[in-house]
Amino acid sequence: MSAYTDTLSIRRAIADAVAGGVVAAALALPMLGFKLVDSSQGLSLGTRMDWVLWAAVAVAGGRLALTLLRHWMSGLGHRMLNRFRLGTALRLVGRAWTVVSPWVGVVMVVFAAVLPFLPFADRNLVDKATLVLIYVMLGWGLNIVVGLAGLLDLGFVAFYAVGAYSYALLATQLGWSFWVCLPLAGLFSACFGIALGFPVLRLRGDYLAIVTLGFGEIIRVILQNWHQFTGGPNGITGIPRPTLFGLTFAASAPEGRQTFAEYFGVDYSGNQRVIFLYFVILALALLTNLFTLRIRRLPVGRAWEALREDEIACRSLGLNPTTIKLSAFATGAMFAGFAGSFFATRQGFISPESFAFIESAVILAIVVLGGMGSQIGVVLAALLLVGLPEWFRELQQYRMLAFGGAMVLIMLWRPSGLLANRKPTISLGAGP
Amino acid sequence: MTFEPLLQAEHVTMRFGGLFAVNDLSFTAGKRAITAVIGPNGAGKTTLFNCITGFYKPQVGRLALHHDGGPVLLERLSDHRIASQARVARTFQNIRLFSRMSVLENLIVDQHKELMRASAFSLAGLLGLGRYSRAEARAVERARHWLDKVDLTRFADVEAGSLPYGSQRRLEIARAMCTDPVLLCLDEPAAGLNPRESLELNTLLTGIRDEQGIGLLLIEHDMSVVMGISDWVVVLDYGKKIAEGPPAEVRRNPAVIRAYLGEEEDEALPPEVAGDVEGQA
Repeated sequence: MSAYTDTLSIRRAIADAVAGGVVAAALALPMLGFKLVDSSQGLSLGTRMDWVLWAAVAVAGGRLALTLLRHWMSGLGHRMLNRFRLGTALRLVGRAWTVVSPWVGVVMVVFAAVLPFLPFADRNLVDKATLVLIYVMLGWGLNIVVGLAGLLDLGFVAFYAVGAYSYALLATQLGWSFWVCLPLAGLFSACFGIALGFPVLRLRGDYLAIVTLGFGEIIRVILQNWHQFTGGPNGITGIPRPTLFGLTFAASAPEGRQTFAEYFGVDYSGNQRVIFLYFVILALALLTNLFTLRIRRLPVGRAWEALREDEIACRSLGLNPTTIKLSAFATGAMFAGFAGSFFATRQGFISPESFAFIESAVILAIVVLGGMGSQIGVVLAALLLVGLPEWFRELQQYRMLAFGGAMVLIMLWRPSGLLANRKPTISLGAGP
Repeated sequence: MTFEPLLQAEHVTMRFGGLFAVNDLSFTAGKRAITAVIGPNGAGKTTLFNCITGFYKPQVGRLALHHDGGPVLLERLSDHRIASQARVARTFQNIRLFSRMSVLENLIVDQHKELMRASAFSLAGLLGLGRYSRAEARAVERARHWLDKVDLTRFADVEAGSLPYGSQRRLEIARAMCTDPVLLCLDEPAAGLNPRESLELNTLLTGIRDEQGIGLLLIEHDMSVVMGISDWVVVLDYGKKIAEGPPAEVRRNPAVIRAYLGEEEDEALPPEVAGDVEGQA
């Protein structure tokens, strides 16, 4: 640690700060030092060395201030406080969560159920809440694979894409309804989950991550290039909206159909569809959650967790790792497929762009940030990672900066996620 | 002493490149008996265990498990089948618990097959049918039985990884026993235990032999355990069997003493054996 003596501290601190400034300048030179200038001859390369200088000065000054501050704090005997205050606070929050979490869950569900009818809920808010719920559902789906079974999957978005394209193609080509296609999309995605599962049975950790990453890209590239089938980069447009028992949410119903507004004798409003979609995804997400909570207490769920803990021990106890892994991949993929077909029907338009790697990364970040295996943690993380950026759209360009910063802080203070306290799925109630 | 044979190993050979880890090894482990496999480090004991439990496939030889109705050839089954069908359970030299799951969950996980069947591969369980909860109650009952045996009932709801070392060893044995095995393979169960704990272990293992009537196969360096409880001792050195017999006989065998002592230098001699050597001289 920083055990500076009084005489040495200033010289050391300055040297340290200068070193920091040099590193910052080296990094800033390619990133900030050049810019494209739009001149009459087209684009040309310009420089802005003053930015580099400012970056270096800012880092050096900041570093010096930090060192001096820390030195001063340690002189006051506050070094521990300075370093660990926030960490302790977060840990306490985590512990408090375990006590109140069942109630928090209930409150959250009730709040989600009445959200569209609250006075401050406008169309925009419900729309954003729908988006957050999609990610909550994806997070819960990936949680089965990563959080429970411990299989690091970086290509989860592939299954999301399979679900979306399944619905889009079935609906636009064959004219099948959303409610028929939804289970089919889940089934197709699950099949793709198994198809991915087979080649990676022997892999784990980093190797598994790389192969799944590749798989995600393969699916996207296929969608992009097989334009006879998928429409290529143009995607698929005019995907039909879901209906409520045959009632559409359009201004006027097609031949032989009724609209929701006509049937209930209310005025037509665009909000009705938005609210309906919100409830559809809420129901789907809650289904995912309920499934996960239940399956954790069943032999399959326990086998997933056992596999995460120790595969060799699993085999020595007669658990077949092949079926356990495949079932985890398939189940997670199925929920991604549901979410995908919902995404398609909500957007009305899909293209391969929506299924880039960054989506997988965000979903994985939601699971990791939430605390592997924690259901409420996923909701919080989805609000943090998807909800906040949506509300602060004007800060879009700083989004990744904040994202990276948040990740670093979490890794420092709560390396196992926001809410990482696992509760046993069965108890004797004996207690120590 | 003769035992009804449970596991018959015949000419088992396991080669890694040019190295014969287990070389033409034949021995028999009996029912209702504790068979100890001993030998200096690198003698091939753990390799032998890995062959028996299917983690390795021996290149040559036969491993026949005699249990109601004809022998089961272990070398033909994959590892999880050996555990679930042939009912051979094992523990590991470096404990392999499901450390972030609770003690009770550790004992429930391994009753997978029965619970799967009761829950109709989880479908009935998902719907919350009664058949599954009854099966689970039975599984908990069995887990509680073994928790009582290894004196860990108080810690049933504790994370397995947070238990002290000795308790983790006992839990691993309990977990293996919950699979209802006919042969229990223990890889150095006394390693890292203090003398009191290793005495308790002796009681536990002889208890399992006498009450469950199953065979135990044991790798052990702790001679107080080996000499205290085993009915039959097989001594390996460089992958070959150099002696076998009742413990009292084996400890006097000059080949065994040589393997442990080396030809000239005397080092790493277990105290019990050392005492015997001095007594004879």
